[in-house]
Amino acid sequence: MSPILGPDSLEVLSRSAEQTHRVGIRLGRLLQGGQVVCLEGPLGVGKTVLARGIGTGWGATLPVLSPSFVLIREHRRAADRQRLLHVDFYRLQDPREAWSLGLEDWLEAPDAVVVVEWPERALEALPPQRLWVRLEFANGDRRRLVFTAQGAVYHSLLQALRRAVFGG
Amino acid sequence: MSEVRILGIETSCDETAAAVVADGRRILSNVVASQADLHARYGGVFPEVASRAHIEAAVPVIQEALDRARTTWEDLAAIAVTVGPGLVGSLLVGVNLAKGLALGRGLPLIPVNHLEAHIYANWLESDEGSPPDFTFPVLTLIVSGGHTELLLMRGHGEYRYLGGTLDDAAGEAFDKVGRLLGLPYPGGPSIEKAAARGNPARFRLPRAWLEGTYDFSFSGLKTAVARLIQQRDIPGPWVPDLAAAFQEAVVDVLATKTVAAAQEYGATAILLSGGVSANQALRAAVRRRAAVPVYFPPPALCTDNAAMVAACGYFRYCAGVRAGWDLDVEPDLRLA
Repeated sequence: MSPILGPDSLEVLSRSAEQTHRVGIRLGRLLQGGQVVCLEGPLGVGKTVLARGIGTGWGATLPVLSPSFVLIREHRRAADRQRLLHVDFYRLQDPREAWSLGLEDWLEAPDAVVVVEWPERALEALPPQRLWVRLEFANGDRRRLVFTAQGAVYHSLLQALRRAVFGG
Repeated sequence: MSEVRILGIETSCDETAAAVVADGRRILSNVVASQADLHARYGGVFPEVASRAHIEAAVPVIQEALDRARTTWEDLAAIAVTVGPGLVGSLLVGVNLAKGLALGRGLPLIPVNHLEAHIYANWLESDEGSPPDFTFPVLTLIVSGGHTELLLMRGHGEYRYLGGTLDDAAGEAFDKVGRLLGLPYPGGPSIEKAAARGNPARFRLPRAWLEGTYDFSFSGLKTAVARLIQQRDIPGPWVPDLAAAFQEAVVDVLATKTVAAAQEYGATAILLSGGVSANQALRAAVRRRAAVPVYFPPPALCTDNAAMVAACGYFRYCAGVRAGWDLDVEPDLRLA
């Protein structure tokens, strides 16, 4: 599957987990309340590494750990009363179970950024507008990160991320 | 001296559990609702997540715990309930039910931290024996699907956090690697079984030592396994070998850091707890390397249960801890 590159998408080739983490930090700095970020990709590709970077860049006071077991982790930051919800659909057996997490209170709420791992397991629980990130294994230890803006509001986020990662 | 019986209620994650424990040590009953007989009785499998399942199961499970313990409400000294960490919806079921029961029956309500309860599984008597009165400080390693933490316990309810995972919990790594290897869920027991037939020396897997800290990281190990599996040219029966190499890598780091921490802080004993502490290779490795006695609960008390909640609740009850009627759940509760 070759990535579609255009104004709606951005591809980053990461050489290491550290680099993936740094891309996450840049993205985390840009995120605003109400935004939803979906992280799709196979086991071990680095979704939680990227999420940890997002947490750092956003300003989370505690480290962002894998939420696979607890399904949802709520983070705070010192700067304001915003929340970062780190959600993981990995363990869901049935998409309908996503509703039992109480996600509807947080998705697109002005005071919350929501980051979702394994979003494809319960797409119907997510809003159609979102930043979609696909992570793939590339040669060696490298990873391909494809960011796609789904919905107009995410175009400017993607542009800002492009500037933050590549400059210019 | 009369006996103190505590009813423990646990609904922090997938299991709906209730138990009656006497004096923090003697299990009079211990009911967990993910057991097959209860699945059958309620005519279906409980959904993995839905708190609705807890609502349906909780009252019958509590009644069964009282019946099996031949205990009436009048025999109880208090109700102990898990307030966190865990899933908010699941925790709410247990906490609200416990509040209602405590209010209705005029019993004190004791809030319990799920992680602390895991440690107190080591105080419970079982067919495998009667634990001693531990002399503090003791070193505790909590390893489960959701947690990997090293703590120094200086007294009942007194903890110092020494380190924990920076990414995946050890149990989560077992489950995910089990899936990568095509082994049945849950991954922990499956990997242990496969590893028993494997040669760990066949693969060299990385260990994240994170020198100078008591922290852990298992996500790189998981990735290394994923990469090896992608190399499809590995000949022969590699699944048991890779399972063995993975288990050895996890056990090596857990055991090394646990033993080092026990030594550095002058612990008189090491207490393992949580689902992963049922792993025989981990138990054996810590015992082999440690200079102090090593304890762990029997397997049924390593995974989530309410007997450990009642045991922990007993010590908090003795310390005078009581919850008010405004008791709330704490999904992100920490121990120290």
